[in-house]
Amino acid sequence: MLEVRGLRVRYGTSSPALDGVDLTVAPGECVTLLGANGSGKSSLFSALSGLLRFDGDVRFEGDDVGKLRPAAIVARGIAQCPEGRKLFPELSVEKNLRLGAYVGRRDRRGTDEALERVCTLFPDVRDKLRAPAGALSGGQQQMVAIGRALMARPKLLLLDEPSLGLAPRMVQAMLDAVAAINRAGTMVLLAEQNAYAALSIAHRGYVLANGKVVLEGSASTLQQNELVKKAFIGA
Amino acid sequence: MHLFFQELLNGLVVGSIYALVALGLALIYGTMGVPNFAHGHLYMLGAYVAFAGVTIAHIGYWPSMLAAIVVLALVGVLLERLVFRPLRNAPEVNTIIAAVGVLFFLQQFAQLLFGGDYRVFPTPYDKVVHFGGLVATQQQLIVIVAAAVLMIILFWFLKRTLTGATIEAVAQNRAGAALVGIDTDRVSMMVFAISAGLAAAAATLIASINLISPSMGFSVILKAFAIIVLGGMGSVPGAILGAFILAFAESFGGTYISTSYQDAIAFAVLVIILTVRPTGLFAKGT
Ligand SMILES: Nc1ncnc2c1ncn2[C@@H]1O[C@H](COP(=O)(O)OP(=O)(O)OP(=O)(O)O)[C@@H](O)[C@H]1O
Ligand SMILES: [Mg+2]
Repeated sequence: MLEVRGLRVRYGTSSPALDGVDLTVAPGECVTLLGANGSGKSSLFSALSGLLRFDGDVRFEGDDVGKLRPAAIVARGIAQCPEGRKLFPELSVEKNLRLGAYVGRRDRRGTDEALERVCTLFPDVRDKLRAPAGALSGGQQQMVAIGRALMARPKLLLLDEPSLGLAPRMVQAMLDAVAAINRAGTMVLLAEQNAYAALSIAHRGYVLANGKVVLEGSASTLQQNELVKKAFIGA
Repeated sequence: MHLFFQELLNGLVVGSIYALVALGLALIYGTMGVPNFAHGHLYMLGAYVAFAGVTIAHIGYWPSMLAAIVVLALVGVLLERLVFRPLRNAPEVNTIIAAVGVLFFLQQFAQLLFGGDYRVFPTPYDKVVHFGGLVATQQQLIVIVAAAVLMIILFWFLKRTLTGATIEAVAQNRAGAALVGIDTDRVSMMVFAISAGLAAAAATLIASINLISPSMGFSVILKAFAIIVLGGMGSVPGAILGAFILAFAESFGGTYISTSYQDAIAFAVLVIILTVRPTGLFAKGT
């Protein structure tokens, strides 16, 4: 269970990028975070991963994880697949994936098993294990990026706009994979602008605007909501 | 023909030293974006630590080299921790000024301890080896072999170990590395340690062929920067190739054109290569 209370982020002296965000992800849930450009989705994820200072309270499985370093947060079971993928382009796909298991590096068998699971989930990735990650197509790189986060064997997976730049067919494949990961018991927090795609697999969702949660509800309520329809679905 | 092989040998010796120095500079630039202008002075300090080991502590040549590597690795860690880390998010010019400050500090420090004179670094390996009419000193051969061994170890470490992979990961995407749980601060310290240690090894290897002095870092740093620009900023293979190109241009240019213009010839070669390939031989991937 992830519980975020009153999270605030401010860059320099500008108005806050996040202004008191409350949010939870319960065991087994896939929750989406919808928001336009600049609404604060990536800032929230950076804060959760320990890359950004913030005020407020972040609890994971009851423990305060707000002040932990990134490595400790991954070790607690929160892994992120970041916006823009942030792969290691000149390293092989396999090395990218194995580095994803860096915090669990002493468990070699566990790492090999995780690699096998990622390859089963993304068959395209298996064929490219030896290629430099930067030589893959955008869609394949997105699979590697998700795979790298999964290599940490997280309890909670943070996905920041994984559909960005993918062809519709690839978006569907990616959504199917995320839904499968969630069904296997991993909590998912999925930031998206593609609300139609995100709500098709999420149980619940939040809508973020100017650093505040302006709407929350079940996926079906949000799908029917006029604001969501107008802002994100283009209906 | 003899002259040709003699210059080839010289080029190999000097290229090996340039490579060890430029490698360290490239590693630091590649992983941290820090142009470490103090690198040549770390090299100088390494020479003096080994010099003290040989002439004051009398611990012998190889133990002195090891001591120089260890001491300089520690100095590298301290530099990262105390000088460059606090400046990580500062404008690049602050980092450059800090590096130049460290450079002058180290030079004054060496001058205070050892005086400003040129010193002769004694080597037990001063015998001349003949093979088929060619001559080399033992020390020259040691330089070539030791540099090759150090580079092979470095490559093995970077390419074959997970800890080495963390260095490449930080170089290629620092935020991505932090997100998988790599301690990027620790990697930065490790890179400074490796880089300064390599410089110390290089300085000890060449010290008995050249003389040592507190200002010996200046010409080295100039050349090392030229090399990493030539190699493609931050590229490790580029640094090695660039080092040998510069060294061969110096030794052959000095012999076949003019000794007095040796450095000018070498830099002319660099300028020509950069005109053809402005991003260097191994431009770093996007
Ligand atoms: N490093 C930074 N320095 C200063 N301001 C920043 C920084 N990163 C983000 N911001 C600001 O914080 C706000 C939220 O940005 P953030 O990237 O979190 O939004 P987002 O919802 O992820 O947007 P997008 O959909 O475009 O990725 C924006 O106003 C942005 O300009
Ligand atoms: Mg974003």
